[in-house]
Amino acid sequence: MQVRRLIAGTVVPLAVTAGLVGCNSGDSAKVDPDGVVSIQIAEPQHMTPANSNDASGIQVLSALFAPLVSYDDSFKPVPDAAESVESQDHKTWTIKLKDGYTFHNGEKVTADNYIDAWNYAAYGPNAQNNGFFFSRIGGYAATQSKDPDGAEGPEKAPTPKAKTMSGLKKVDDLTFQVTLSAPFTEFETMLGYSAFYPLPKAAFSAPGVVKEDFESAPIGNGPFMMNGKWEHDAKVEVAKYDGYPGAKPKVGGVEFRIYLQPSAAYADVLSDNLDVIPQIPTESIPTAPDDLGDRFQRSSASQFQFLAFPTFEQEFSNPDVRKAISKAIDRDEIVRSVFKGSQQSARSFVSPVVAGYRENTCGDACEFNPQAAKQLYQQAGGPSKITLSYNSDGPHKDWIDATCNQLNANLGVECTAVPEAKIADLLDKVEAKTPVGIFRLGWIMDYPSMESYLNPLYSTTGSSNYYGYSNGDFDRLLEEGSKAATQEESIKKYQQAEDILARELPVIPLRFTQNNFGYSTRVQNVVVDLFSRIDLTQIEVLG
Amino acid sequence: MSDLEMAATTELGARPGEVPPAAGGTPPPKTRSLAGDAWYDLRRNWIFWVAAALVVLVVLMAVAPGLFSSADPTACNTRRQYAGPSGGAILGYDFQGCDVFSRTVHGARASVLVGLFAVLLTGVIGLVFGMLAGYFGGWLDALLSRVIDVVLGIPLLLAAIVLSKRLAADRSGSGIVSVVIVLGILGWTTAARVMRSSVLAARSQDYVAAARMLGAGPLRIMWRHILPNALAPFIVVLTIALGTFIATEATLSFLNIGLRPPAISWGIDIATAGKHVREAAMPLIAPSLFLTLTVLAFIMLGDAIRDAFDPKLRR
Repeated sequence: MQVRRLIAGTVVPLAVTAGLVGCNSGDSAKVDPDGVVSIQIAEPQHMTPANSNDASGIQVLSALFAPLVSYDDSFKPVPDAAESVESQDHKTWTIKLKDGYTFHNGEKVTADNYIDAWNYAAYGPNAQNNGFFFSRIGGYAATQSKDPDGAEGPEKAPTPKAKTMSGLKKVDDLTFQVTLSAPFTEFETMLGYSAFYPLPKAAFSAPGVVKEDFESAPIGNGPFMMNGKWEHDAKVEVAKYDGYPGAKPKVGGVEFRIYLQPSAAYADVLSDNLDVIPQIPTESIPTAPDDLGDRFQRSSASQFQFLAFPTFEQEFSNPDVRKAISKAIDRDEIVRSVFKGSQQSARSFVSPVVAGYRENTCGDACEFNPQAAKQLYQQAGGPSKITLSYNSDGPHKDWIDATCNQLNANLGVECTAVPEAKIADLLDKVEAKTPVGIFRLGWIMDYPSMESYLNPLYSTTGSSNYYGYSNGDFDRLLEEGSKAATQEESIKKYQQAEDILARELPVIPLRFTQNNFGYSTRVQNVVVDLFSRIDLTQIEVLG
Repeated sequence: MSDLEMAATTELGARPGEVPPAAGGTPPPKTRSLAGDAWYDLRRNWIFWVAAALVVLVVLMAVAPGLFSSADPTACNTRRQYAGPSGGAILGYDFQGCDVFSRTVHGARASVLVGLFAVLLTGVIGLVFGMLAGYFGGWLDALLSRVIDVVLGIPLLLAAIVLSKRLAADRSGSGIVSVVIVLGILGWTTAARVMRSSVLAARSQDYVAAARMLGAGPLRIMWRHILPNALAPFIVVLTIALGTFIATEATLSFLNIGLRPPAISWGIDIATAGKHVREAAMPLIAPSLFLTLTVLAFIMLGDAIRDAFDPKLRR
């Protein structure tokens, strides 16, 4: 689908969600506690905590694992698999685990499982997508090494000085201590992200080496366990794990069904062959209320849609070119005509759902003005041909085409929309610096903080900085923000960092999206949360 | 491809060199050449005229779309989404606010180009294979015929999907070249078989033996004596193939593996409009209708020509 991060916690306090869904509880007599619910996903890129950073992989992992913390309705972290997460100075954190959690193979969950998993994720040569999330932990730098002549050069990177991070210390079986290299106020919030799940001993073939086929059937500590293996491009099945001490799911299992075409998934929901589609394809939204009635629902999401520039390429290296393109896009018109009002125009770089959001931080650059855009574009010497690349396994073709048409008309350029079959293909090409032109990305926060919209996306070492953007001031402000003593001070620094983005525009904001989901007549109590993930503890199957 | 195969299994043995029996009730007043006789027949076949008119129309659209619609098919504006007919846009506007009529007219060019070049490619391959197999016979015939069987056994769409993916790795351009190559590689077998059977028939004729005795080499015999007399059924097959290639191109484009934007293709437009058909049907109907008529025109034209060259078949 898109680059999305989902945080881990499946457990949203029951009182809150019950209030949201409400009405259906009277039908409980018909509920089948052993029913299996089917949910649409796209083919996951990976299915291990350390390597998954796409929405589909994380949706599956969130069924298999229990997070240390989950979030209440105001996005404050509350302990989940953890008994408590405490710190006096925001530098040394003590994490106590709840007793009674076991992995699906019967192993007891201990502090070692977390320490081993995190060390594996962070160790540079393992090249895990989420290694970046451990960079705040003391001793992270010693586990990394730099390739002296870049990834393409003949020389190999030297072996890092350390295999494990010195900041992780076991206190007893259920307690461990994390020492950060610098204070970070929101560390507890971060722990809800799927990168921080534990791994069982059975995952390792040797100390520090995860078995290659572990991701085909991950063993977790969550409410569901794998039922069979990950069948690529077909499905992943999970079944209820009876040994789970947390909130029990109300279904017997979940079948995550992998679709290449969102429209096919929608057709299957209409014919009751699929139970839940988390995002109805754009072209079906106008007819969805008629098709599904009450079973078409909306909920707010944290997703941010944007167009990204390969700033390392000459033709897009001038911020004025990027600004002109931004000004040539009529966001409101696309929301009206393509999305029928189901999304919201974005003129800021962080979503309205997090603290610190300000309206219209993008300012003049996001204001639609075709005349000024064309003038600026010509002055700045923008390219006469533009390519917009997107992934066709997500519902993007219509709005990309419309955007291209606007650029054609307003800038006098020749714009071509180029589909890639999967998001993974697109990202691989971008990483290899194959020219793809401007490309689309979507971002779902990893954890509810402004920082989650800034650091991974735009900092020089950011895990999802696909545009080669690097700004020393921006990096410095983020660092200062994360060290600040209070949330207010952090937010102030983050906002200054956001202002730099508004001037330099490595990406241009387009829309904040909401969840437009639908479900079959077989299920009820379907909740899609801010992370665009289906709450598997709420959903019920009708007998 | 069923039409193509049907044409192949039909014995297209217009005996070259023979004067065919007079067709219809009225015998031609005097002896004519085969082509002359065929033309005599064709002239009085209304199907031929309808098909020919449609083909001329489509080719004209492909060559000079400006004659039909002055609107720019790529000038789209969502402000006109699903707007009704106005001015030159006699069929209204689609989801993206593009002029449906203009896009449909401009879509002819890609289809005709693909059809034409694919037929040329299959024609060349089919001619060489069929001629060699038919003329030399023996082990070469056995070998080439098995090659034809193998290629014929590959399901066209499946192979096209695989090949297109390979060829699409080079993403520049609109994909016309790769579609032509795919169709050329997979579609030449019928033409080769037809060519082979007519060459087989022609080479046992007396004039071939005569030429050989006079010392003509194989190349000269093939080129001067066999080819002209074996060409008629071959051309018929290719005409029908042109229609099916256009349909296949639209299928591939519909499946997102054929032509790519900025190419304007009926297949792409049908795929796009199909998703929005419940809101507006015209953007789907217009390209579908043009596609159907074009394919029908080429197949009818091929049928009419075949009937003219081989009157026996009609009875």
